[in-house]
Amino acid sequence: MADAAIRVQGARKVYSMLGKPKREAVSDVSITVEPGTIHGLLGPNGAGKTTTLKMLLGLVRPSAGTFEVLGADSTHPSGRRSLGFLPEQPYFPVHLTARQAMRFYGSLAGVDAQGVREQTPKLLARVGLADAERTELSKFSRGMLQRLGIAQALLGDPVVVILDEPASGLDPVGQRDVRSLMLDLRAAGVTVLLSSHQLSEVEAVCDRVTILNRGVVAAEGDINVLLNVDGQSSVRASGMMSLPPRIAELAENVAVPGGVWVFSIPTQATRRVVDTIDEAGGTIIAVAPKRESLEDYFAALLASSDGEAPS
Amino acid sequence: MIKRIWPIAAAVMTDSLRRKVVYVVLVFAALLVLAIPSLPDYGLGVEGAVFREVALALSYVTGLVIALSLAANRVPSELEKRTVYNVLSKGVSRWEYLVGTWLGVLGVMAGTIIAFTVIEMVVGYLTYGELMWRLWEGAFATWLEMGVISAFAVAVSSVTGPVVVVTATLAALFVGHSRSTLLGGEGALALQPFVPSLDAFNVVNPVAHGSGVPGIYMVSMLVVFFGLVGVCLSLGVLAFGRRDL
Repeated sequence: MADAAIRVQGARKVYSMLGKPKREAVSDVSITVEPGTIHGLLGPNGAGKTTTLKMLLGLVRPSAGTFEVLGADSTHPSGRRSLGFLPEQPYFPVHLTARQAMRFYGSLAGVDAQGVREQTPKLLARVGLADAERTELSKFSRGMLQRLGIAQALLGDPVVVILDEPASGLDPVGQRDVRSLMLDLRAAGVTVLLSSHQLSEVEAVCDRVTILNRGVVAAEGDINVLLNVDGQSSVRASGMMSLPPRIAELAENVAVPGGVWVFSIPTQATRRVVDTIDEAGGTIIAVAPKRESLEDYFAALLASSDGEAPS
Repeated sequence: MIKRIWPIAAAVMTDSLRRKVVYVVLVFAALLVLAIPSLPDYGLGVEGAVFREVALALSYVTGLVIALSLAANRVPSELEKRTVYNVLSKGVSRWEYLVGTWLGVLGVMAGTIIAFTVIEMVVGYLTYGELMWRLWEGAFATWLEMGVISAFAVAVSSVTGPVVVVTATLAALFVGHSRSTLLGGEGALALQPFVPSLDAFNVVNPVAHGSGVPGIYMVSMLVVFFGLVGVCLSLGVLAFGRRDL
């Protein structure tokens, strides 16, 4: 049994065309995805996310590196048979109905006819296409095609699922449904590798993230560890007309949404701040390690000239 | 393996059913078959032979147009629309994809040529009162040659676009039927073994004017068919396997 669901080691891809200079799309990328987790793959355009995924899926020939899914070499077709994949902006033969498309992809995934018949209505219902089973794909909206792409990726109950921008083209309700689906998959023990530009989506569902920039891994780790700000705590308190002076001199990033004071303080001052709020007649709602938004972390990472993780 | 190749072939066949070009070409060719008996220089006593010869030529052209329209477009279109991603990520090998595509085209060709030959038989019978069974031998040879042409087109289409595929395939067709003309001189005779020939599939004379194609010749046609298809598809798989999608 493989200890990692997905393991990419030293991935490198150099595109070379006659008469054109060589272009290195991926320089050195290593990713390890633990079984039963949701792992986010982030990066700006041109960071190498899609090329890395394509190498993992055998769609692009790597210049160097090893690519494994459940311990099997995924650049070989046999290593991809326990894997489901949703490409970015999936396209399908538009003359098929949703049911015919599921039958086609099910047969390619090795699901027998009976299995496809059983799984099709369940999966289409799961992605919100229960009423569109007999509809021709030429009549599908962009969001419906995206949902169908997710459904076909789940045919055959894959143990590992790779989703490239799954929320792309979906309305807010659809995006919420996709998040729920990913969490359901994780609860069922399925490993999800999620490539996404939607940082809120990654922050909401991912256990770990790998951030790529200019073809290398810029940061990697537990999302909570990456986003927690060392030595800072976040305080939420209510019942005060103003911040007591002893707190005001320590507090940063003060905001008062709906009468609740939200601010950050040095962690070592927590006891003093809590006591001061008590004395001022206020109510502590929460004290937690200060957490940066993924947007802020990402922006700081990309702004740093060397692409190293921000401290 | 077959479980993955067959759905791809079936998808090509299903897709072709909705393509108007197949029906238009078939109907147009059928109308031409109906017009054969009205050719002005029909000589008495050779009507049947002339009918068979023209019918075989029409079968050939019909098959060629349909084979080119299907084989030259399928792979480039799937690559452009990226529908191939969903296929290959399911654990389908690139060779299975190419072979499945070729088999699908071959299946469509079989259906088309069978339908066309039935039309020819019916017109021949109604016009001359003769069931021209030998047309099936010609149809079989045409189908085999179209199989080779399709394999070549599919192989080339795995690395380039439809315009180049059609041009290259027509060039290959020309070279394949011109070996003796191009390399007939004494100085070039030694090169002949290196130039594949499609003349093996030319059975117009025995079908139209002779007593049919001997069984052993049918077998030798099959050997040539498998040999040329094998070479074309192998080269196609080699090139496609190295391509970044």
